[in-house]
Amino acid sequence: MDHLGYLFAANVFVWGGVLFYLFTLRKRSQALEKDLAMLKQILDKGPAK
Amino acid sequence: MNEETTQEGEGGPVLLWITALALLAAMVAIFIYVPTEKTEGPVQRIMYFHIPSAWVSFLAFFVVFLSSILFLWKKEREWDIYAQASAEVGVLFCTLVLITGPIWARPIWGAWWVWDARLTLTLVLWLIYIAYLMLRAQTDAGSMRARYAAVLGIAGFLDIPLIHFSVLWWRAFHPLPKVITTEGLGKGMDPAMLATLFISLGAFTFLYFLMMGQRVRQEKIRDDIDRLKKDVLDSD
Repeated sequence: MDHLGYLFAANVFVWGGVLFYLFTLRKRSQALEKDLAMLKQILDKGPAK
Repeated sequence: MNEETTQEGEGGPVLLWITALALLAAMVAIFIYVPTEKTEGPVQRIMYFHIPSAWVSFLAFFVVFLSSILFLWKKEREWDIYAQASAEVGVLFCTLVLITGPIWARPIWGAWWVWDARLTLTLVLWLIYIAYLMLRAQTDAGSMRARYAAVLGIAGFLDIPLIHFSVLWWRAFHPLPKVITTEGLGKGMDPAMLATLFISLGAFTFLYFLMMGQRVRQEKIRDDIDRLKKDVLDSD
């Protein structure tokens, strides 16, 4: 038995899934940190007139 | 950003490096060190991804179960955050179990899927926690959402003992446990295969803690943002 294609496919799904999730985590963190910085800036400027 | 959120972010790079090294060691063990299994051939190596993915998903859902109980008991947002973060990571690894299992089964059993008790119960587990994430996404943030989610998180975990014992209780296609047996740990297994499996289990566990840490940190930042938004509205 050989079936190397199946082993390759399993690897593609595992590492593809893990990397995709890590990528989405990074994108979400960047978006949140941007929002946080913007809000802090608004608060530092003081109340709107 | 509160002090606690900043401190958690500082531990990230160390865990990231440990995880990367552990995963590298696992890859070397899986593709270079471990011998090829005689009857199944190279496709058996899929088990070094499949079993650790199953372990991590069970660990993640156990954390959901425990955090949900603690949330219902103590009513602290912290526990709700842990439950939410762990459920998301658990669903990722449970998805990998449901993908790698059929890829292994096709050449070994001659079928992608059979309605075996363990396979079916694992699919049910995945659906329960998909429902958990949908419940959290579709309802407004607040204590009621957290309470409903906690109840579902606890109920869903009850499927895991059934998955574990299903191969012993019912006649099953799924292989019987080979690592934890009544005869002892890994009895009858090739020592190199057992070592590779443990290296891979360790690496995937580090990966779980890395992802979990990031998700917890994100939820804490989101809470900070909500607090600041309230402050902005109050100051207007």
